[in-house]
Amino acid sequence: MTRDELERALAELPFRLLRRLARTIAGPPAMRMGKRRIIHTIMAAAETNQARIEAAIRTHQAEQHAIAAVPSTPAEAAADPKAGKPADLGSFLEGIGVPEPRPFVPDDWQVEAVDALERGDVIVSVPTGSGKTYVAVEATRRAMREERTIVYTSPLKALSNTKFTEFSKVFGPESVGIITGDRRDNPNAPILIMTTEILRNLLYDAAGGEIDVRLDTLGLVILDESQFLGDPERGVVWEETIIFCPSQARMLLLSASIGNPQELAAWLTSIRPNPCHLIRHQRRSVPLRAGYLHPNGKLTPLFRTVAMPPSPSQAILHPEAKRLFTMYEEDASYGSRRSG
Amino acid sequence: MPPSIHPVHLITVLRQKSLTPVIVFLTSRRSCDEAFQAFESTTETLPQARQDVITNVLAELTAAYPSIQDHPLRQMVTVHGVAAHHAGHLPSWKIAIEELMRRGCLDAVFATTTLAAGVDFPARTVVLTQSGVRRDQDFSDLTVAEVSQISGRAGRRSKDSVGFALVTPSPYMDLGVLTRGLTGRPEPVDSQFIISYPMVLNLLKAHPVDHIQSILAKSFAQYQMNAQAATLEHRIDKLQAKLESYQPRECSDWLTQWSAYDHATRQATQKLQARRHHPPEVRARLPFLTPGRVVAFSRFRGVVLRRYRSKGQHHEMVTVLRNGGTVAECPVADITGVVDHAFDFAPAPAFPWAAPEALSWLEQQLGELPKQLPAIALPPPATDDGTGELVKSLGDLFPCPTCPCRPTCAKEFKAGNTVKQEWLHHTRTVQSLRTGLWHKFQERADTLHDLGYLDPTYKLTDDGEWARLIRIDFSLLITEMIRAHAFDAITPGALAGIMACISYENDRPGSFPRISPAMAGLIATTRRMATSLAPHDDPPLLRADVGGLAERWVGDTTVTWPQLCRSTSMAEGDIYRLLSRTLEYLSQVHQLRATHPDLASIAAEALSRIRRGVLEELP
Repeated sequence: MTRDELERALAELPFRLLRRLARTIAGPPAMRMGKRRIIHTIMAAAETNQARIEAAIRTHQAEQHAIAAVPSTPAEAAADPKAGKPADLGSFLEGIGVPEPRPFVPDDWQVEAVDALERGDVIVSVPTGSGKTYVAVEATRRAMREERTIVYTSPLKALSNTKFTEFSKVFGPESVGIITGDRRDNPNAPILIMTTEILRNLLYDAAGGEIDVRLDTLGLVILDESQFLGDPERGVVWEETIIFCPSQARMLLLSASIGNPQELAAWLTSIRPNPCHLIRHQRRSVPLRAGYLHPNGKLTPLFRTVAMPPSPSQAILHPEAKRLFTMYEEDASYGSRRSG
Repeated sequence: MPPSIHPVHLITVLRQKSLTPVIVFLTSRRSCDEAFQAFESTTETLPQARQDVITNVLAELTAAYPSIQDHPLRQMVTVHGVAAHHAGHLPSWKIAIEELMRRGCLDAVFATTTLAAGVDFPARTVVLTQSGVRRDQDFSDLTVAEVSQISGRAGRRSKDSVGFALVTPSPYMDLGVLTRGLTGRPEPVDSQFIISYPMVLNLLKAHPVDHIQSILAKSFAQYQMNAQAATLEHRIDKLQAKLESYQPRECSDWLTQWSAYDHATRQATQKLQARRHHPPEVRARLPFLTPGRVVAFSRFRGVVLRRYRSKGQHHEMVTVLRNGGTVAECPVADITGVVDHAFDFAPAPAFPWAAPEALSWLEQQLGELPKQLPAIALPPPATDDGTGELVKSLGDLFPCPTCPCRPTCAKEFKAGNTVKQEWLHHTRTVQSLRTGLWHKFQERADTLHDLGYLDPTYKLTDDGEWARLIRIDFSLLITEMIRAHAFDAITPGALAGIMACISYENDRPGSFPRISPAMAGLIATTRRMATSLAPHDDPPLLRADVGGLAERWVGDTTVTWPQLCRSTSMAEGDIYRLLSRTLEYLSQVHQLRATHPDLASIAAEALSRIRRGVLEELP
């Protein structure tokens, strides 16, 4: 083996073996030595100890072959996340790219949500990016057919603007209006986009006797990002909006995944005339994989399985990711000690 | 500290593995900008065709948002296909970046975690470089909901068959937090219902006071508190059943009775102990220790010269003349025997407590005493441990000392009392859960009554009628300022300035233009008012510098946006946010047209002056 070969072979060895090797040929290594430094130490004494180092590498390689030769049954692997070989990079990156274009077919839950609005209020709590907008648009379409007013609220002006553009594209600019604190663009349109604070103020005014929005024709109120109900500063506005919302209007609450949507639904049912229907699921429309990227550019899966583990208790780090992260942290504590 | 991955290297690796487009989440605005700037020195650029696409999209957006036209970052975004996106940028620029990302023109966006909640643009991959986030000058772990918001950006519907969330180590990384975040269940949403002054005014405007409680009962806060109360009531029922076994005995409520008696006993005993400082055998000796008395210690004998109490601990002490002529100080407790023999001598008032000749005489006498001497038979120490005394003193107040139930009570009191205290505690909690909101409402309403917005029947007064239209934070401060005529004959610039001061709650430091004397005076008045209202409402931050900025923008319409930005170290996005919040506050003041026409028209003037340049671009 040349020096380069030797160095590369050493880099393949697990940290534990390297430390043992370094101890036998160069005395006890410092407690917090990183892998690179250990290899450095070994290489410094490589001239006199070449045979010993090569022997260690050969033993390790033989062991690796033996482990790889033992086949593991897929059934076992499925039963226990610890069993079986950890996922490799190939299967991790498999399937990357653009899917076959398919005609758009709404998911069952999307159809269910729109239908449930006929019967009462609806809370949709699904992961980000699974297509809540479709539900909002379809529900709006139906309410428009009944010549009702639709109010769409979002927590931020920026989001209001995005939705304004989006709805204008779908329903035509003449049917969409936007109301902000001091400006009203097309306020007589059937679809009104505003922030939740503005709607709350309109409801206050209506309750005080000054009808401002056409509340009697209000058919649908869509509250986007309803998880803001738990926001320490602004959450109260969502609550007020829901409490004061006229009873003839249907409410559609769109929310990211939250921990207690059933509690929200039960609350809505208890204060609103119609029962509240809850649509929830944890399934992402595009599957997600977690990876670990080391500063040296090496990419490995983060967990043993390619797919995302279903719960934290079943999440076991990929051995390679764990090794690299430990190495990083060891380097970190070594570095900070030296500088401090 | 070993370096986190270099941004250019990161993007190169991801491009090779075709994991772009990617959103990289970083800790701070600065790190986003630095990561973006790192591409300045690379030679690698996008192919010309893709650059043209970006140029076209930007040109298209420029029509709607003119401020994109001369944006300093435009060139680099086009050439390298990467961008930074954070709250320090103008909304129009952020919209441009989002649009580019949505159309797949960019390879990477460096963003802060705050982005995750705000806007909606997906990518194939997200990169997480930290597991914590800065919140109010503190650094706390990302919640599961936040991590799922972030990882939710990975994987575009119908554009990706799979999305990736990549973790890369940095000093701010805890893999455990992210593992929980990626695989765990999001946190429950809890009610944050607070009763504000505008809420009270608006509710009382629309509903009679007797309906308020039922309206408050409809809140999610009450719903959640009811659920808590129900759990507690279940527990209370169980405790009630347990209390059944501690039924009335001689007295109807023996637990209370015993608890009072127990307390009295303990106090009385403590008092007694303070008086009985000395063990009984010491007390028995004391009357005999007169000057001249011979006493025996374990090693020697001596003649008492005087008796006194030590200064610190108040121990009973004696000064004795030992055989050999030494004068020693000894505690009475060390005396082993009091001899039935005393010498007569004349004590002296100071050390050595006797005349020298008397001392030598005593020493001589002491030496001549026989070895064995009869000791005084002391009366046996009293066995009285104070109970008798207690019975005597407490017997008048309590029946317990003589009650036949006394032993049982003493035995069962501890267990019974624990149950009872828990029961009491829960009952009180349930009470406050059921009525807390209503009490808070009443408290607010009473304050408003004291200030003159409500009459004694909780109807809105004339002031209340217009004050309810101010529905923002610090509404009480603003309405009080209006009532104190602090805004009379104010310039539009100063009104905008003071509203900016009140509205801006960010304490990101910056250096700012000087403020006018009028403005400074106004801020001082506001601060005094805020301090006087402090018992009812938390005072605002009242940063004078942001006031100066808003005053400049509104007061002088020739000031351009770049000029305004140059006069401060605040980021463009922050200035924009400051002015748009000011806009919101001013438009609330503008609502007071009917009752305060002058002020409303000043506010209208300020509003129209704010809305120019960049601030005109978005509705």
